[in-house]
Amino acid sequence: MDFDFSDEQVAVRDLAAQIFTGHATVDRIKQIEAGNERIDRDLWAALATANLLGIALPEEDGGSGLGLMSLCLVLQEQGRRLAPVPLLPTIALGALPIAEFGTVEQRSTWLPRVISGEAILTAALDEADSIDPAAPRVIASAGGRLSGSKVVVPAGHIADRVLVPASTPDGVTVFVVDPSADGVTIDVVDTTDHQRAAHITFVNAPTEATLGRAGDGAAVVRWILDRGLVGLAAIQLGVADEAIRLAAEYTSGRLQFGKPLSTFQGVSLRAADAYIDASAMNVTLWQAAWRIDEGLDASREVAIAKWWAADGGERVVHATQHLHGGMGADVDYPVHRYFLWGKQIADSLGGASKQLARIGADIADAYR
Amino acid sequence: MDFDESPEDAAFRGEALAWLAENASRRGPVTANAVADDPAHVARCKKWQATLADAGWAAIAWPAAYGGRGATSRHQSLFNEEQSKFDVSTGVFAVGLGMAGPTLIAHGTEEQKDRFLPPLLRGDEVWCQLFSEPGAGSDLAGLSTRAELDGNDFVVNGQKVWTSGAQHSDWAILLARTDFDQAKHKGLTYFVLDMRSPGIEVRPLRQINGVAHFNEVFLTDVRVPAANVLGEVNGGWGVALTTLANERNFIGGGTSSIGFANIVDRARASGRTNDPLVRQELAEAFTRFEVLRFIGYRIQTAFAQGRVPGAEASILKLLYSRHVERNGNLGVDVEGAAGMLSGADAPDDGLWQQQFLTQWAMRIGGGTDEVQRNVVGERVLGLPAEPRPDKYAPFRELVRN
Ligand SMILES: Cc1cc2nc3c(=O)[nH]c(=O)nc-3n(C[C@H](O)[C@H](O)[C@H](O)COP(=O)(O)OP(=O)(O)OC[C@H]3O[C@@H](n4cnc5c(N)ncnc54)[C@H](O)[C@@H]3O)c2cc1C
Repeated sequence: MDFDFSDEQVAVRDLAAQIFTGHATVDRIKQIEAGNERIDRDLWAALATANLLGIALPEEDGGSGLGLMSLCLVLQEQGRRLAPVPLLPTIALGALPIAEFGTVEQRSTWLPRVISGEAILTAALDEADSIDPAAPRVIASAGGRLSGSKVVVPAGHIADRVLVPASTPDGVTVFVVDPSADGVTIDVVDTTDHQRAAHITFVNAPTEATLGRAGDGAAVVRWILDRGLVGLAAIQLGVADEAIRLAAEYTSGRLQFGKPLSTFQGVSLRAADAYIDASAMNVTLWQAAWRIDEGLDASREVAIAKWWAADGGERVVHATQHLHGGMGADVDYPVHRYFLWGKQIADSLGGASKQLARIGADIADAYR
Repeated sequence: MDFDESPEDAAFRGEALAWLAENASRRGPVTANAVADDPAHVARCKKWQATLADAGWAAIAWPAAYGGRGATSRHQSLFNEEQSKFDVSTGVFAVGLGMAGPTLIAHGTEEQKDRFLPPLLRGDEVWCQLFSEPGAGSDLAGLSTRAELDGNDFVVNGQKVWTSGAQHSDWAILLARTDFDQAKHKGLTYFVLDMRSPGIEVRPLRQINGVAHFNEVFLTDVRVPAANVLGEVNGGWGVALTTLANERNFIGGGTSSIGFANIVDRARASGRTNDPLVRQELAEAFTRFEVLRFIGYRIQTAFAQGRVPGAEASILKLLYSRHVERNGNLGVDVEGAAGMLSGADAPDDGLWQQQFLTQWAMRIGGGTDEVQRNVVGERVLGLPAEPRPDKYAPFRELVRN
């Protein structure tokens, strides 16, 4: 057993930290939040130039082949700086699935463009009236035409291609969809973390191809979902770590009753509890990411990581918000954004109770 | 002990309901507008408060001599419960009716009461609370805004922060330091301040929930007539304690427009009422509403018997802030993926997102959860207070932010 990161992983993390810290300043984030896309295109280009967009993609597709753990290291740094870039949707929900299930042609069309920063991808997993992305209500005709709608698709308003699971007469199939095609409507929506997403409606909409074999979609969706959940847990860890750092710094600098706030046990115990939560988030995240990279079954570990990210992560951002007192309300001070991101990530792709249900089902199965 | 409503209370409730039904329209589905804070909202509140005053329903618990109904705060609660079913608001008078009024009644001179209470009660004048400062939040007695006597006026200099509603206020309750050589609690004086006085600058702060709700207030050579001191010069802390107890009671009394029925409606609209986890949450929410209602009544009883409910108000406020947090989480959680949306894109126009984004503020405003817990620990349980290096030395000598 070895809990340390390799030199290569440390280098990836440091590089990512340097780029995110340089670009995602509070002023820059405010500027992006005032815009339409809510995406920092300059930062996206910088990540491409530094070869970080291809870090987890296979070498034969032009990537660095460093696995999901390396992507998680980058995502953690993104979370620390709340950087508005579509890393999770493009890489975890789009490019990794194409690398795994795509045809030679699909890989050569999309992966180089992802790595160079030209293409943004996503997957449309959530629906308003279905709770299992692997059992979609969106349907596809025998000719591969889609009807129905997906909600809150991350980066759905700017994606070049969207992976869309749909139910077909042969079972669930994942389709590659060009969102500019006739019959596809994109409704841009605001999310609570000041970002944007899209509701996507299909009316007899054409698809370009399937991803993987027709009828194999449920397994593809679960594969995508697991990368998405682990990726979210990685962003959340960065959010939590930095929020705790901010709270520790703030309460140590602020005097009330003649001494630093952090010297009151009510403050320091709450901060310590937050750190303990973040430690659990840390080990559960890396265990899940490591097992996936090793090709081991990670179904339970992924759910555990996302459960900690949701439940522990929310507790952390509530604590850090609270420890800032009135300062937490002021939108000109950065800490509230950690609160907003923390909640958003907690609820993305299935919140805490969904993960518990999954873990429970898995355990009931295993100990039967 | 009797948990049932007396026939007299039931009759009062019926009378209130009948009057409300004739003078207001029933509340439709609640939307995010319930937390609006714009001039139109102020105008709506003023109009409704005047209607209440004309019919004798304004300030039900205030003495008749000052235009109140001369009943008890329990009657006020009964009325509020019925009023919450209607599409009306008195939100901008939170500080005026909830804090300034009761403080004036307890500590004001007859002239002050005659001048300030009637317009407050009629909704003609809006009040704000100039207590918190950048350097003094939980440690309110650590404030350093300075008031110096000059002839018949005090001259005030300093900065206040998080002042709710200052942008549309006519008057303020102000706590300032008149003696820097005394210990921190001893050199404070309580003033009523005309917000139109020269030297006051109000700068809005945008809040996390998107509503421009509170402000920074800069005071530069602002003159306040000595006649506007409430209580004694250097006796402001005791006066402020009355305000704080009323504030806690007011916040804990639940001015939120969200009722249990709204939560059930949301769960039903999201198709989640058959989910056992959601059902458990709903059941817990129901018990919270009940506990709060009864603790609220207990405090009303204390008020009715002439006791100022110090620690009880802290308990109420603590329970209420937890309650609001849980409700905010619940409302967003039952919405599923749509819970991540905000504003017009979200269900009920973003009402639950607003609740979520505002809930943490309940645990801060009016004294944080820790401050309330300290009150319970020290005043109810009699635990010794934490050692305080700052309590007895002259304020001038303290280390400050
Ligand atoms: C929505 C809102 C509206 C408000 N409106 C007004 C208004 O109209 N007028 C006005 O005057 N003020 C207003 N306030 C200010 C409010 O009263 C203060 O924010 C509050 O008293 C806390 O002070 P602070 O923000 O300086 O936090 P701090 O006192 O700096 O506290 C920071 C953190 O430290 C903790 N802490 C502090 N002391 C201790 C201790 N001894 N033991 C353990 N933990 C401790 C606190 O609980 C908090 O978590 C408002 C605040 C909010 C959020």
